[in-house]
Amino acid sequence: MIGYAVQRIGVAILIVLLATTALFVMIQFVPGDPANVMLGPRATPELKEALRERLHLNDSVFVQIYYFFFGLLQGDLGVDLTSNRPVVSILAEQAPYTAMLVISVLLVALMGIPIGTYAAVHRGGSFDQLSGVISVSIIAVPPIVIGLYLILVFAIQLRWLPAIGAGEGFWAVIKHLILPTLAIGLTWIGYVSRLVRASVIEVLMQNHVKTARAFGIPENKILRRYVLRVALPATVTVLGVSIGFILSTAVIVEILFSRPGIGKLTYDAVISRNYPVVMGAVLSSTVFIVVATTLSDLLNVMLDPRSRDINS
Amino acid sequence: MTTFVVKRPTRLARIFQVIRELCSSPLGTFSFVIVLLFFVVGITADYITPYDPIKIDIRNKLSGPSWDHWLGTDQLGRDVFSRLIVGTKIALYLAVTSVSIALVIGILLGMIAAFTNQWIDWALLLVFDTIRSFPGIMFALTIIALFGPSVNSIVVIIVVSTFPSYARLVRTQVMSLRNAEFIEAQRAMGASTSRILRLHILPNVIGPVLIVASMDVPLVIGVEAGLSFLGLGVRPPTPSWGTILNDGFSFIRNTSWIVFAGGLPLILTTVAFTSLGESLRDILDPKLRK
Amino acid sequence: MQNRKNLIDIKDLSINFGSVHAVKNADMTIKKGQIMGLVGESGSGKSTLANAIIGLLPHAAEITGGTMEFENRNLRVFTPNQWQALRGREVSYVSQDPMSALNPTLHIGQQMLDIQYWSDDTNAVKLERALNALEQVRMPNSKSRLDMYPYELSGGQKQRVCIAMAIMARPKLLIADEATTALDATLEVQIVKLLKELQSDIGCAMLFVTHHLTVVEALCDDVTVMYQGDIRETGSVSKVFTSPSDDYTRNLLRCDPARIPEKCGRLPVMSKPELKRVSDPKMDKARIDTVAAPVLAIEDLCVTFTKQRSLIDLLQGKSGERIEAVKDASLSVAIGETVALVGESGSGKSTIARAVFRLVASQAGSILFEDADLLHATPHEMRAARNRMSMMMQDPFGSLSPRITVGTALVEPYIISGQSLDLNLREETERLLELVGLPADFANRYPHELSGGQARRVGVARALALNPKLVIADEPTAGLDVSIQGEVFNLLASLREKMQLSILIITHNLHVVRHLADRMAIMYHGKIVETGDTETIISKPVHDYTKKLLAANLETKY
Repeated sequence: MIGYAVQRIGVAILIVLLATTALFVMIQFVPGDPANVMLGPRATPELKEALRERLHLNDSVFVQIYYFFFGLLQGDLGVDLTSNRPVVSILAEQAPYTAMLVISVLLVALMGIPIGTYAAVHRGGSFDQLSGVISVSIIAVPPIVIGLYLILVFAIQLRWLPAIGAGEGFWAVIKHLILPTLAIGLTWIGYVSRLVRASVIEVLMQNHVKTARAFGIPENKILRRYVLRVALPATVTVLGVSIGFILSTAVIVEILFSRPGIGKLTYDAVISRNYPVVMGAVLSSTVFIVVATTLSDLLNVMLDPRSRDINS
Repeated sequence: MTTFVVKRPTRLARIFQVIRELCSSPLGTFSFVIVLLFFVVGITADYITPYDPIKIDIRNKLSGPSWDHWLGTDQLGRDVFSRLIVGTKIALYLAVTSVSIALVIGILLGMIAAFTNQWIDWALLLVFDTIRSFPGIMFALTIIALFGPSVNSIVVIIVVSTFPSYARLVRTQVMSLRNAEFIEAQRAMGASTSRILRLHILPNVIGPVLIVASMDVPLVIGVEAGLSFLGLGVRPPTPSWGTILNDGFSFIRNTSWIVFAGGLPLILTTVAFTSLGESLRDILDPKLRK
Repeated sequence: MQNRKNLIDIKDLSINFGSVHAVKNADMTIKKGQIMGLVGESGSGKSTLANAIIGLLPHAAEITGGTMEFENRNLRVFTPNQWQALRGREVSYVSQDPMSALNPTLHIGQQMLDIQYWSDDTNAVKLERALNALEQVRMPNSKSRLDMYPYELSGGQKQRVCIAMAIMARPKLLIADEATTALDATLEVQIVKLLKELQSDIGCAMLFVTHHLTVVEALCDDVTVMYQGDIRETGSVSKVFTSPSDDYTRNLLRCDPARIPEKCGRLPVMSKPELKRVSDPKMDKARIDTVAAPVLAIEDLCVTFTKQRSLIDLLQGKSGERIEAVKDASLSVAIGETVALVGESGSGKSTIARAVFRLVASQAGSILFEDADLLHATPHEMRAARNRMSMMMQDPFGSLSPRITVGTALVEPYIISGQSLDLNLREETERLLELVGLPADFANRYPHELSGGQARRVGVARALALNPKLVIADEPTAGLDVSIQGEVFNLLASLREKMQLSILIITHNLHVVRHLADRMAIMYHGKIVETGDTETIISKPVHDYTKKLLAANLETKY
């Protein structure tokens, strides 16, 4: 177990390093002179040259990467090209909003588990059929479209819920979270419930469940210890891997609902060619995703003892 | 070239057979028809629009559905229905090019990973996982920041973000097949590696991959819609489903029709391609064939 | 008339799966303390009947008629609560597949505690009970086992745990549904002995479902024989096995290779039960060419596998774990001879076959095929060799490509060897199908449309396509009903007479070996521990392991 954990974390670190390097290299291909962008067209050539020296822009790619990692280890992600504020603080400001959104989406998505389980246990019944139709229909609609339709119905036609911004004060924040969360989360509830349903149905047919029944163990105990314990790890893995998608969708949703957050930040930075911010935002998101995936892998191994037996 | 003796149906006959089985259920027929429609409309788009999609007619702007304009007009008086039709062209182009390129790269790399030594396999896996760790949108935004918004930027984005999942799938499939007993039987008979690859491995691998690919088409179209909606995809005045949504959103307080209409083709194609993929999966599994 | 002593009373019971009649008007009674065997081939309905008694029929099954009573309680109208109370306490069930019967995510101890949900005792008492049960089933280190997960136990140990769980509540009836079918013969002996002891300790009745007739003879008091849903005969074991009154039972007993003492050249099969040809030693000897060099000569073969290294090991430069699958094995097959390579699973016998075909690499030793050194042959030489020898693989379905029709699979050897241009492939397909007794239109079928026996024959046909000198058959009778085993046997026997075929048969089925093989070699943990004439080894085994193996497989007394 420990061996696997070490290996997995090592791989995760490697991935982050690789991703950072790739990102850095990509940005090198940007046409134009950052010094120009930062100082404006009226700066003198000497000033620009001095800036280039300071930012190591004249050195080779490897040297630049070195300085970048050097700064990274000190918690320095560079400065915002327009406001000169350190990228790290900008990120620290905006990240909580995105985190809020992602976490509430996850919570909502988890509701799919009881739905899927109930549908599987009462397979073929009216709940199963109804939830099936609804899930499949929702999954079919892309999140942007869901978001737009939600805004259309609840914000504009019915005027029940706000569609702009994040709100101040606890209840306002919650109210402002509802539509964005649903825009992303509805699809995920549908997806998770289908997944759990399929998983549970498969496990229900397995031999150890039959054996447990043969010993007269009560159904609810069987469900908890013999069905879900075996079926859920797969779902956990899927959710962990999907955090990346959730984050992705969250970005678009933030822009749609004009919410503050990493999404809006990145969008604005891209439009204004503010590369350090873009770099910082993408990097932190990548780290977040790698951490989430690694955690879910480790969780999976913890829950399912069989995987401790074989090396990956 | 030897001919097989036994009456094996020709490729074409097989395709017709699959189509027939597909259409045996209402969902299957529906998805097949929509997918077909998608291709037909996408190809013939320019010729079948009732109105010129970029013709401006300010007097008629933001009108709701009517007999003249089935889905209404947008803020510049352009016919929404025609714009949607032309948008299909872009969606089709994207779907076909990005998915095919990603498939080719993915299958190639996946097979290489499955057949080389442990080190290269490991390195390739690392590359795949790294790419998958990039948040999709961020990566898209970065590429657009670098190369500017255009349809081909979207192609690059999609190809790079999707080929790892195909490659992984192919790799897993090939690895499990490699040790399958019937492959061993082939080797015991002395079959060459290329023969085994061609006749026994590839057919068993391509099926699942194609199915995943068909279910990725909605994803591709969704990415375009998202990016164009943000103004970072297709440039106006070219109509695409995403730009129509964008227009609709800007004027959502005036009329809800544009947003509603813009969402429709997205929903239709998502449902169609997803159920197509699932139906194909059931059909192509030889064990379920009667 | 109601007999108060009857534990189980089944009258006229019918169970359907949709339109399939799995059980038709069955009558069966089980008395207190009685050991009843329920025998039949696959598809006979025996498992369905057993599952019905404990109320575990699958969704698709429906009881359409008859009565089923347990101690005069009507099982057909049992509520879920009543079933729950019955199971695990009055009626216990041990299933066929020990590998999947236990919850993989819980310790053994936790599962054994779970089963005692009905008891109000403390956990300590429950654990004590569990430990006692494990000791009763002769589980070594029972205390430490409680903390282990199922994957840490072997198949035999898992089955013991299942049995321990079943007897913990001292049930009145224990249903063992093919409980020993998946186990090796030696293990089967142990488990059957265990069951017999437990039965006399606890005094429970047992319903033992199986298709191994020898086990039934040893273990059971009475036996019920089923065929395609009908109960053909019921009676005491001694009566049924010595003078059966039903034709099917008679044929079943007749066609069991284990019950035929003389060595036979042709075994009776269900379709031709009168067939039996005792083998003529002179003809057997005449078949074998002892003068010319052996067609296959393996000497001091060593095959070692290296487990795949994890990343950490890779980085540390450590080599993977080495498993010596075959150690210094020597074996030869003369022209026309049939040699059996016998051993239990994991002994390395399949690996030798693979090594001959260079499907795995050999580290040392030599393999000579018709005087050609296979281990150092060039690809060209290897190809030539492959044209003259072929392999029948263990899994009849797994060895056929699922997307290719039977006909195409049969002619593949021709195509691969480049001979296809000279031959009419259609004729060849028909010839091969006829050779193995399959109708010509099977050429258009796909593997999943065949039965186990049919798929096995296709494998034989394919192996014979190029008229090889040597066929290596890997477990050709595994998984087949006893009667179908006879058909495969007869096929091989007739073919070797026609074609002077040399056969290396790899198997753990000693009964087939006894009839078919001229010589045999016993393998244990990668080493060949004894070789010699079949009859000599069977009557006078030398090595300890050989003695154990023979005792487990061939003796019918327990």
